[in-house]
Amino acid sequence: MNQVLLPGSLAELWQALDIHPEASVYAGGTDLLVQIRNGLRHPTSLICLDRLEELKGISRQENGTIRIGSCTAHTRILVDPLAQKGLPVLVRAIEGLGSPPIRNMGTIGGNICTASPAADTLPPLYVLDAEVELRREHGVRRLPVRDFIVGPGITLLQKGEILSAVWIRQPVEYHAHHFEKVGLRNALACSVASLAALLRVSDDGIIEKATLAWGSVAPTVFTCPEAEQILIGAPLSLEKLRQAAAIVRRDVSPITDLRATAEYRRVVSGNLLLRLAQWRTNPAAGA
Amino acid sequence: MRREIPEVGHSVPRFDAQAKVTGVEKYAIDHYLENLLWAGAKRAGIPHGRIRGIDTSAAAALPGVVAVLTAKHVPGTNRQGIVHKDQPVLADEQVRHRGDPVALVLAENREVLKEAVRLIQVDLEPLPAVFDPEEALQPEAPLLHERGNLLLQATIKKGGGAEALAECDVVVEGEFRVPFQEHAFLETENGVAWQEADGRITLIASTQAPFRDRFEIGHALGLDPASLRVISPYLGGGFGGKDGATVQCLLALAALHAEGRPVKMWWEREESFLAGYKRHAARMIYRLGATADGTLQALHCRLYYDTGAYAHLGGEVMELGMEHAAGPYRVPHTLIEGWCVYTNNPIGGAMRGFGVCQAAFAVERMMDRLAAKLSLDPLALRLKNGLERGDKNGAGVTMVHSTGLMPCLETLRRHPLWTEREAWKQAAGLFKRRGVGLAAVWNAMGYGRGLPDSAIARVELTQEGKIRVFNGVSDMGQGNAAAFMQMAGEILCQEASRLELIQPDTDRTHPSGSSSAGRTTYTYGNALIQACRELKQKLLHRSTLLLMLDEERGLVLLPGRVKHLPTGREVTLEVLGRLFPESDRVCISQFVMPVAQDGLDTGKEFFIGFPHVFFSYAAHLACVEVDELTGKSDVKHYLAVTEGGRVINPQCFEQQVEGAVAQGLGYALSEQLLLRDGEVLNPNFTTYLLPTSMDLPDIAVLAVETIEPTGPFGMKGIGEVGVNASLPAVANAVRDAFGHGPSRSPLTVEHLLALLGEPSRQEVGPETTGKNDSD
Amino acid sequence: MKIRFSLNGSTTQVEVPADRRVVDLIREDLGLTGTKEGCGAGECGACTILVDGESRLSCLMLAAQLQGCSITTIEGLAPPEDGSLHAVQEAFIEHGAVQCGFCTPGMVLAAIDLLKRNPDPDREEIRRGLSGNLCRCTGYVKIVGAVAAAAAPGRNPEAPREKKESL
Repeated sequence: MNQVLLPGSLAELWQALDIHPEASVYAGGTDLLVQIRNGLRHPTSLICLDRLEELKGISRQENGTIRIGSCTAHTRILVDPLAQKGLPVLVRAIEGLGSPPIRNMGTIGGNICTASPAADTLPPLYVLDAEVELRREHGVRRLPVRDFIVGPGITLLQKGEILSAVWIRQPVEYHAHHFEKVGLRNALACSVASLAALLRVSDDGIIEKATLAWGSVAPTVFTCPEAEQILIGAPLSLEKLRQAAAIVRRDVSPITDLRATAEYRRVVSGNLLLRLAQWRTNPAAGA
Repeated sequence: MRREIPEVGHSVPRFDAQAKVTGVEKYAIDHYLENLLWAGAKRAGIPHGRIRGIDTSAAAALPGVVAVLTAKHVPGTNRQGIVHKDQPVLADEQVRHRGDPVALVLAENREVLKEAVRLIQVDLEPLPAVFDPEEALQPEAPLLHERGNLLLQATIKKGGGAEALAECDVVVEGEFRVPFQEHAFLETENGVAWQEADGRITLIASTQAPFRDRFEIGHALGLDPASLRVISPYLGGGFGGKDGATVQCLLALAALHAEGRPVKMWWEREESFLAGYKRHAARMIYRLGATADGTLQALHCRLYYDTGAYAHLGGEVMELGMEHAAGPYRVPHTLIEGWCVYTNNPIGGAMRGFGVCQAAFAVERMMDRLAAKLSLDPLALRLKNGLERGDKNGAGVTMVHSTGLMPCLETLRRHPLWTEREAWKQAAGLFKRRGVGLAAVWNAMGYGRGLPDSAIARVELTQEGKIRVFNGVSDMGQGNAAAFMQMAGEILCQEASRLELIQPDTDRTHPSGSSSAGRTTYTYGNALIQACRELKQKLLHRSTLLLMLDEERGLVLLPGRVKHLPTGREVTLEVLGRLFPESDRVCISQFVMPVAQDGLDTGKEFFIGFPHVFFSYAAHLACVEVDELTGKSDVKHYLAVTEGGRVINPQCFEQQVEGAVAQGLGYALSEQLLLRDGEVLNPNFTTYLLPTSMDLPDIAVLAVETIEPTGPFGMKGIGEVGVNASLPAVANAVRDAFGHGPSRSPLTVEHLLALLGEPSRQEVGPETTGKNDSD
Repeated sequence: MKIRFSLNGSTTQVEVPADRRVVDLIREDLGLTGTKEGCGAGECGACTILVDGESRLSCLMLAAQLQGCSITTIEGLAPPEDGSLHAVQEAFIEHGAVQCGFCTPGMVLAAIDLLKRNPDPDREEIRRGLSGNLCRCTGYVKIVGAVAAAAAPGRNPEAPREKKESL
């Protein structure tokens, strides 16, 4: 490996990408440098986005949407009052991501672009219906995150493009913001199954809205409209959750790897739904 | 509260803590010398094969490569090992595990080194391989060594042996499996070595046995051990994995070809997983019988230890496991059979808990199984059968020394975690199951019989008037250096600022055995006490000369001086240091640990070790909550009650127990080498899961103090016993929560979820019903 | 590549390959061996340093990234002329948080980052704050106690505290 470029502005970034179209782009490096150590990537040049302040920060836009710069470190999102208040399901997921120094270094953009089936931020971003902003020198486009990620580790990011921001409409119509990650230990753990859920439950316990997304049980984040339909309009009960769980187990496509078998992931993907029963008694309860 | 004189019995802050907390302390890995070369090994990459040829030409031609060595460059026997010398320094004809080193490269820097290692072509003819000890014992199994695949088969029999099971009212059976565990010390295997102009080789290595290393290197490379100097700085963890040559023979070989330049070898984490030693995987088959009132009568067990490609201390590990197989209980009749077998897996070697860890899982699960069958409380069953002084243990050895199991159990019985356990369990929330489990464990101290458990202590009054202790045993974090400072400070009545310690250095300190077996504070401490007492006498006598006194009466050692109390006259240690020659300011004394005196007509196959006679004891309690939806477990509370004679330093005592429990909890919940065809599938910290700070509870540590009269200030070593209890305590807690318990480890989320889904089998009656009884 | 940055309060300039790992730059090129390496993959935290006041893993940083930054290694905590130690270091010694000591430099710096963000953490928050630093010797118990003591000298670190509401 020869060059490590640190552009200080977007203009410098486009120039660097122009001269080194083959370069690997990174922000925090917590995924890329490990991949290089494991011999999975052999870049001859690197471009580090860490100095691009314009790609960092969280702000509320005019229509109430929250915009998170792609190079915003996870820690920064965790402590931001906007995120805490407006996007609790995302904050809960980031709490369990890696470890404190990893959260200081790693960025939300990196987590999205690595697009691991087990990525912690992705299930929340799916239930939040987040959009990714993709920027090139002469243009910007936006895509729903669920369309941006097309396979395990595969995104629609094109040459000359970077992920510049994530746009999220605040889920004000929901009041249960649920996230659970199953890992083999409580920190520095790659998820073996995770569930992000947004629920709206009426005062008399009827599920009015439900948006669900699972991580680590399919090549990309798994969603299940059929399970959502079973729940919507029904009372939030263990019996209904079990019904929905059966559908989920039928439709997930997990793999067996070092951390867990496909069978375990299949069983747990359904079980995780049962945890939503806790929202019945205390809508304000956290996961 | 910090005291000026580090007195025994007090929580004096550790002597070595300041240098470590400021980053000033240099571990072996921190030595970078001028004109440094780097050395690295090319490893086999297949589990079993015959070497047809090695092409080093491309590697040797790489700019920056100084030498590429193979077996033909190894003088001497090319065999290393602690007891059995069966491990090649560089493989000559056969490779027996994926990590077997085949060639050694010396290069100018690490980048060139990596590339050169990559360029070495090894032509290997793959041979059929075997990865299971019982398969390896079959006649048609591939042969790893000329002697066969059986490293050691041994039997311990006491009383009527297995026949006595027929007389029992109740017999329970069980079969248990445990995987290889990784030491995972944070400082990996490493060292630096160079050859002086006079031909002597000096090594600075992260090693637990600097004195023995010289002999291991000497035998392997045909060098005179006296021509080797090994320096052992503080280790960044050892736990047994740095007992026996890791880098040492390769480094010495490199030094011979480095033309006087220093050579550094540092196993990166993945290489440590590949080539380092492991805790043995084991399968254990148990039958335990008792009378209806719960009095243990008979045990028959078969233990299979997987020692991997080479012996290391495999036979000794199995020996110790077998000695402990009956648990810390009175069992009149035992038949304990063991097979320690070579396979093409990674090398099983010494690891904290040394064979006992495995057996403790089996016997403690069996005790709970028995208790369930007899409808007895598990603690009551242990109290009924616990060893006391004067009893014979399961190997037939009489417990003539301090035996503190019963007070540990009694202390646990009175603890709120035990007395309030039912209420705690009832309070489990939605989708949670709670269980409380206990384990009674023990662990021998010292080498046992067959070789001297010996230490030589040297203490000196320096010219500057300081007290300098020449430590003979490596400090891998257990705090023996701190204990020695406390002992010297107490006897010589000197403040910490006047005490110095030289860490093991074969040129300056004296052979004192390995840092292992829970022996270092006991054996070296006893030698040190004698040496300090002699030095004290010497200083008092020399003071009479300077103070013109006609007798020593009335003289005392005080901080910095000797004082004559009747007259108040003093002479400082600085003056004494200046006025007497060095040979008169030194005291050297030795100590050998006593051995068992029982003449036993069993255990004849053991090479060394059998039997031991000093044991420390512990009773542990784990309060575990398991999530029914995911199988995730949470150890909410943990209590460890330990007996190790007198407590020299309560803080250090707690440190050792907490650390041992933590390693045991890793072994219990998440740690295992995942192997396929001898390949470690999880050779890094991303996939081999050590407990983080969020995975362990606050561990309550209680000490039961007895006095071990033979021990320095009455202590016994407790470094190992704690690691044996975590897995059985948690496993028994799971049994308590689920109604049936695990027979293999680790207790991962998947394992527990599956176990939860298994229906409890019904109790059938006193007859045995097959391999695994319910519970 | 010439890289200029502030190291433990002093401006430093080095000439190294741009892709040299920061942990190697610190240990080998600058001779500061207090920063350790335990895994090289960001999983153990032994290589923790402070970059612009934040804890980061130097095994996952490349030299070029140091340009213009201010880094603190363990050696930079206690100025040599002063002789005194940082409160966290004192607490580690006093409360028995050091055994083999190899994790200690990284752990101390992680604790300092934690206390800067949260000056009065409860034991659970301390455990969370240190969850990126593995220790194989202590079981973390006394490390947690030491950090609690450093946060509030005089308060008994073993005493139970009111659990804080989570987010």
